[in-house]
Amino acid sequence: MVASRFISKLQRYEGWFGIASGLLIMVGLYLGLVTSSPDYYQGEVVRIMYIHVPAAQSAMLAYTVLFGGSLWYLWKRDPVVDNMCHAAAGIGIFFTSIALVTGSIWAKPTWNTWWTWDPRLISFAIMLLILVGYVMLRTFLEDKEKEATYAAILAIVGFIDLPIIHFSVEWWRTLHQPLSISTRGVSIASDMLIPLLLMSIGFYLLFTYMLMVRTQMLYLQHLLEAKRGRMLSKVHL
Amino acid sequence: MAAIQAIELSKSFQHFQVLNRVSFEVKEGECYALFGPNGAGKTTLLRILATLHRPTSGRFEMNGYDGLRQKMKVRESIFLISHGSYLYDDLSVLENIRFAIGLRGGNPTASQIKRALDRVGIGAFSSLKSRHLSAGMKKRLSIAKAMLVQPKVLLLDEAYASLDERGVDMMNTYIREVTREGMTVFITAHDRAKTAEVAHRAGVLNRGELRELVVSELLTAHALF
Amino acid sequence: MHFFNVIRWIAWKDLLSELRNRENISSMFFFALIVILIFSFSFSLDPKTSKELMPGIIWIAFGFTGIIGLGKSFLAEVHNDCMEYFQIVPAPKGAIYLGKFAGNALFMLIVEVILFPLFILFFNLDVLEKIPMILLIFTAATIGLSALGTLFSALTVQIRAREVMFPILLLPLAVPIFIGAVESTRGVFSGDPLPLYSDWIKLLIVFDLIFMVVSFWVFEFLLDY
Repeated sequence: MVASRFISKLQRYEGWFGIASGLLIMVGLYLGLVTSSPDYYQGEVVRIMYIHVPAAQSAMLAYTVLFGGSLWYLWKRDPVVDNMCHAAAGIGIFFTSIALVTGSIWAKPTWNTWWTWDPRLISFAIMLLILVGYVMLRTFLEDKEKEATYAAILAIVGFIDLPIIHFSVEWWRTLHQPLSISTRGVSIASDMLIPLLLMSIGFYLLFTYMLMVRTQMLYLQHLLEAKRGRMLSKVHL
Repeated sequence: MAAIQAIELSKSFQHFQVLNRVSFEVKEGECYALFGPNGAGKTTLLRILATLHRPTSGRFEMNGYDGLRQKMKVRESIFLISHGSYLYDDLSVLENIRFAIGLRGGNPTASQIKRALDRVGIGAFSSLKSRHLSAGMKKRLSIAKAMLVQPKVLLLDEAYASLDERGVDMMNTYIREVTREGMTVFITAHDRAKTAEVAHRAGVLNRGELRELVVSELLTAHALF
Repeated sequence: MHFFNVIRWIAWKDLLSELRNRENISSMFFFALIVILIFSFSFSLDPKTSKELMPGIIWIAFGFTGIIGLGKSFLAEVHNDCMEYFQIVPAPKGAIYLGKFAGNALFMLIVEVILFPLFILFFNLDVLEKIPMILLIFTAATIGLSALGTLFSALTVQIRAREVMFPILLLPLAVPIFIGAVESTRGVFSGDPLPLYSDWIKLLIVFDLIFMVVSFWVFEFLLDY
């Protein structure tokens, strides 16, 4: 069956992604937290950027994968693609939460506030709500035949809306409180760039690794239920 | 020409395999009666033919149109009478009919509707809100809709359910009349004697598998399953 | 032609049902009224803060109106399996969406138009010359809320936790509508010249167009397998 060949390919290569991401993250963290220079204005606390920025990037990657996969699912109806979407949403919640928490930890010593109403943070918070809503919809829908389709619809609408949400929040913020403070206020010195790059790629690879593992888990779960169904229907009556 | 053609239809839901490679053919103008124990998959099969569910595997054709790739064309030429009455409680019988058929693009005249309602025996109730209808009256209303739609294939799930004895005879009269005019009728039922009056062919669906019957078996066999 | 007839049939059916039992409009109206009363107790409203907070309060009230009313949009269809009929009827699914959307938008607008004079009364708003612009803003925001709300109502109507899931899905995605509506309403109330707040109205209109088109397209998949 074509699906299981793809799944076994995932199984074969996932380890490489896991190892590669682990290595890159370790090196990136060492360079970033230990050897790179602190920021001129923000001092040591800027080091949280080495986690915050890659986490945010991987969160957006998860959201994009969810969108692309949902379109693909509505077109081809491939159940493995649906598993991948479900996986991407959960992993997206993980990275988005990290981005928000690290953003908050960054904000406190820097601007003495846990939450800054920065347009990007707000957009991320809303993205988190959308992803949580997606997973809740999938959990609460009792009609399992429709689950994948309805979830795909939600993901597509949510993805199209997110840029609009971001723009409108940004306009609103500039209207009511000029952006005098911004999380973009970091001048990147050259020895910050390399650890940041390593962490970015490392996180992307981590996302890919997690996606491969979780997609397989969901696929196997469905397979198990189907097998159980076939056994049950032979036993009953 | 085959009005209904099913080729290796299988269907499993989350926890259950309901249909297992069911294949059969029904010609134009034939009435095919499907029997089987409760839970055998008769309703599921009908709903797949009505394009409500996607089969897990296999294909089917209705009036020559592919059931999976030409769903709209299939839907234009069939009519399903099933467990759901598709009625709105706040609307009267007349309003419900006009809505249901209006969505299909039809526009029956008031006299056509009256005639259909009279034929099924609920002509006096055309202004009654459908929340007050009994199950039998709702069934008759569905038949009236079918009369107005005049589909090429009529799918009747539990053809005689909720009908009193006059209703059952009315149903059989209707089936006889329309099959003579070329409509194909596919019914599921449990009443062997009444079905034998109108069925041209019959089958039994048991544990997801279909076995063809000779119509006379309906009257002579001791138990079908 | 069939396309527009379907829209008309759906809107007709919803309007007729609502006229008969008035359940949706009355619950929307009273809920919004309660919200207004609670707000008037929660904040001490001198004329200056009143002007600041009014737009927000109005749109929170209308937002709750939408959640109550839009959430029930497909409730009648759940009964008697009418959603199923939408699936098998040979009608364009996008037209069914537009019909529902039109009915929803109209009901919401009616409630808003009834409530707004109450706002003027209770909070001493001095906006009578600006009514046309206010109506434009109400319409633009209501269209956006209905466009998304109709879609999400269809997605959540069969869930048992529908009343919780519907606002959870709708509100984050409706953020641009609320921002645009509040800011443009604030602009009108403050007597600002049009160019100062017209961008917000443009935002609403663009949002409306995008999500009417997206929901229209996506409904094909929602009402089918």
